[in-house]
This record gives sequence, C-alpha cells and structure tokens, in this order.
Amino acid sequence: MGKFMNFLEKLDSLDRRIIFLIIGLVVLIPLLIPLGLPIETTNLTEDAFYAVDALPANAKVLLSFEYGPSSKPEIHPIAVSVLRHLFSKGNKVVIMCLWPDGLFMANEALELVAHQEFNLEYGVDYVNLGYRPGNEAVIKGITKSFEANFSVDSRGIPISQIPIMHDVQTARDMDFIFSFSAGYPGAIEWVLYAGDPLQVPVSSGNSSIQVNQLLPYVKSGQMKGVIAGMPGAAEYETLLIQKVEGREGLLINKANALLPDFKEKRDATKFMDAQSIAHLVIVLFIILGNVSYFVKRKKQQKY
Amino acid sequence: MYIGVLGAWVAVFLTLSILSYLYKDNVFYKLAEHIFVGVSAAHWATIAFWNQVQPNLFGRLWPQAEVAALEGFNKFWYGIYHVLHVLFKKVFPEDVINGTLYRGIGDQPQNLSYLIAFVLGLFMLFRLIPKIGWLSRWALAYVIGMAAGLRLYGYMSSDVIGQIHATMLPLWTGNLGDSINNIILIVGVLTGLFYFFFSVEHKGALKVVSRIGIYFLMVYFGASFGFAVMGRISLLIGRFNDLIEYSGKQYGFATPILLVVMVVVLILAGRKEKQADKAEV
Repeated sequence: MGKFMNFLEKLDSLDRRIIFLIIGLVVLIPLLIPLGLPIETTNLTEDAFYAVDALPANAKVLLSFEYGPSSKPEIHPIAVSVLRHLFSKGNKVVIMCLWPDGLFMANEALELVAHQEFNLEYGVDYVNLGYRPGNEAVIKGITKSFEANFSVDSRGIPISQIPIMHDVQTARDMDFIFSFSAGYPGAIEWVLYAGDPLQVPVSSGNSSIQVNQLLPYVKSGQMKGVIAGMPGAAEYETLLIQKVEGREGLLINKANALLPDFKEKRDATKFMDAQSIAHLVIVLFIILGNVSYFVKRKKQQKY
Repeated sequence: MYIGVLGAWVAVFLTLSILSYLYKDNVFYKLAEHIFVGVSAAHWATIAFWNQVQPNLFGRLWPQAEVAALEGFNKFWYGIYHVLHVLFKKVFPEDVINGTLYRGIGDQPQNLSYLIAFVLGLFMLFRLIPKIGWLSRWALAYVIGMAAGLRLYGYMSSDVIGQIHATMLPLWTGNLGDSINNIILIVGVLTGLFYFFFSVEHKGALKVVSRIGIYFLMVYFGASFGFAVMGRISLLIGRFNDLIEYSGKQYGFATPILLVVMVVVLILAGRKEKQADKAEV
C-alpha cells in the first residue's frame, strides 16, 4: 500500500515528455491497428442530419466554406459527408467561401464527391461561386443580391449564365444554409446576418472548440443542430450509411451504387478509434493527477 | 509526381520538426518556427492584397474596361491606372485595364466613392509619420463606427432578444425531464448573470446565488476545455495520418528516413551539449 501511495505521489512530478509519448502512442497505434469501435449518434448531429434530410428533391442549399488546411482533419470529413447526403437526394448545391483557403477545401471536396463519385454537371447540379472578401458584409450583401457580390463564379463564368443561379436572386431563395466553419467569419455570422433576418434554416459543421459558443443557438432553434468536429463527422457518416442501406426517405439510384464508396472512404469514422482511446487516456491522466494531488496534500497535512 | 514527393518530404520534415519541441527546444523546431512565421507573413500579406485591397479597392476604382473605348473623364482616370501600371507592374496588372478579368478582380461596377476609403487607408499609414499620425484616428473612427453599426443589429436581434426569448421557458412542461432541463437553464442564466452584477456586495443569500453562478461557469469552462482537447487530438490524428501516408514507397519513405535522421541529430547534439557543459564545469 505504501509503495502504491509513493507511486501516486511521484505521478505529480512525472516528466511531461512521458505523457506526450503515451498520448502519441495511443493516437498512433489505433491508426495502424483499427479497433472498429461503434459510433453512437447524438442529438446535435441527428438534428442537423434530419434537417438536411427533410429537404425536398431539387431544394437549393447554400454551403459556405470557412476553414483551411489547419482545421481540415476536423471539418473536411463533415463537408464531404454533407455533400454526399445532398447529392444523394438530388439537391442543388451553391458553394461560396468566406475564407480564402475555403476555396481550395471546397474544390477538393467537390472533386471527390461531385466529380469522381456522382459525376454531376457543373452549373446545373452545383456551382462554386468562390471566395469573396468582406466577412459578414458579404453575408449581408447576398441577402440583398447574389449578383452584386458574385458577378462571376470561381471559374470566371458570369453567374447570369449559370443555370442553377437563374432563379436565385438573394439568400432568401435558398432552402437551407450550411456553414463549415472553423472560426470568424463562420456559423455565428450566418445565424446573425442571414438565418435570423431571412428565416432561412441554418446548420453548421464546426471545429470542436467552437461548439460551446453555438449551443445556445441550437437550443433556441436559431440553428438546426451542429456537427461537432471529427466525432460529429463520424456520426454523420454513420447516419448517411444507415439511410442509404435502409433506403430511407428521398434517395437517387446513384446513391445506392455509391454505398461501397461511402463505407470505404469514411475518414472521420476510421479516425475515431484513435480519438476515443486518446480521450480515455486523458481522462485517466486527469483522475490520476487529482488522486496524486490529494495524496500529496494529505501527507503534507500530517506534518 | 516529383513535386508531390518533394511536398511530402517538406510536410514530413516540418511536422516532425514542430513535434520535436515536445522533447525539447532544438534546431529543427527553431528552423520550422522561423519558416512558419516567414511563410505565414508572406502568405497573409499576399492574400490580404490580392483578395482584399485589389478587388475591394482598386478593382472598384478601375474595374475591367477597354481602355481604347474610354472617353472623357474615364480616359483620364484610366490614364492614372496606366501610369501606376508603368510604375508598379505587378501591383497594377495591365489585364484589368485591357478589359480582361484578372483573378476575378474588376468584376464590380465602377464606384468612385471608394476614393474616400482609399484616402482613409492612406491616413492609417500616416501613423508611421509622427507629425501627421493623428490623421489615422479618423480612419480608425470610421472602422469602429462602421463595425459597431454593422454588428449592433445582428447582436441585438439574434443574441440579445433571440437568447432572452429562448430563456423564457415554462418551469413545468408536463414532462419531468424537459422541466428539469428548463429549470437548470433558467437558474444557470440568472445566477450566471448575477455573478457579473457588481453593484451589490455578494454576501449572505446573494453569495450563495453568486456561488451557484460560478459553478455553472465552471461547467461551461470544463466543457470548453473538453471540446478544445477533442479538437487538438483531431488535429494530431490528421498530422499522424499524413505521416503514415508519407511513409510509403511512393513518397520515398519520407517519414521513417526523416524521423531517424532527426533522432540521430538530436542525440548527437544532446551529447555535444553535455560535453560542453562538463568542459565549462
């Protein structure tokens, strides 16, 4: 018992590099040897998923990319899953970016989902309007007119010549707004300057660190759920596969054919083993740290 | 192909260099840190100029136009652009005035009121000249006023009114779970707000209310910390995934080779450091 108490006491002065090494190993090992831990879905992700799922065929959805390479591991799988979900239902997608790097992220996601997987027609099924500087001023701008803010798309084509934009004058003409956001400008600005004033439903896929700030908007109904970082993305991937497998709701034939691809390319799900094990170890460290602190304090009180 | 492999090697080297700081401060980390600072500064300066200043200012003062077809004042106006182009070719590209769209710049209609913004922008730079530095306050006043006005409406309607409205909940809904949730939410909001109310000394019963507010705030901070940890682990997974991907033959075994080289160099450097310390003693 005495030896165990001494061990607990010594934990307090453990070299931090040992902790880094352990965290590194518990992240690395599940990436090399996947455990296939089950993914349980939460209300936050389900709200976002079913809000998107309830959109009718041919509904127009505005996707805004507000993240870059630094937050790509968290948000890019969300963007890919949401695009797959929308295209599986035959929805039309209009993309814009409030971050300069968002354009590269959007192009990468579109190349995989719209081009390689669904083989959709640019300008008819989807369009990438590109990046415009101005943060929330751009959001306010498109509530008045798309053309005044995006006279051309990311390929330099005038938006008056893009079929998907023919009946889109302002953001009010959108059936849903989805923001992939890693900070400012991002999901909050979409709620404040487009969702609330126009009464267009807004949802978001976010970096984990932002989620606490967004929860009040979800609770108040100003946002339709939130996809919280990598775990949220894994949940969304699971829900989408369940939908396609179970042939639930609106679904185009192509989606059934792509099911093996959806299962194979689940970036967030394959990373969740590492995430879960790392969290377990961190919780263990916190408990051990607290026990060590109290053991040390009790010993000091004796003298 | 070769560019892809080279990119992988650079990415692996910089990732391992930054991670090596977890062992201790070293030359690889310092190198990666300096590269990051330099590249970030240059990247953001370029992005800011080509995505903010050019399209939002110069692109609106001199939008795409066929110079030969211009008449009257605009002929003179685009003549200024031509002079600027001769002086600073890269900053004022000829494509814009030739009527072709350059990087999406100049697709907006001409708006000379942006001259006011141009002058205010120049005022900001006057901070570098102490004698006329006071002019920069005019530009700052505009920025602050505009930002406050733009954000006030959004915050008032969505954050203040929207959130107050969302807090007006029934204490009993007929469902026990929902009712408990509503009570927790209302108590949390009221006690949390009271904690930041400093006009009354927090003692007696008020101290209890304030203390409950602190507990709610602690739960918030704890949840924020949890989400922050989750986010950081996700990013680490992203980097590790890249390191695993780049350890393959198609990338020339970038990860294992660079890892071994860096470990050997760090061990040798550590030994040399110890020997130098001994010699000093």
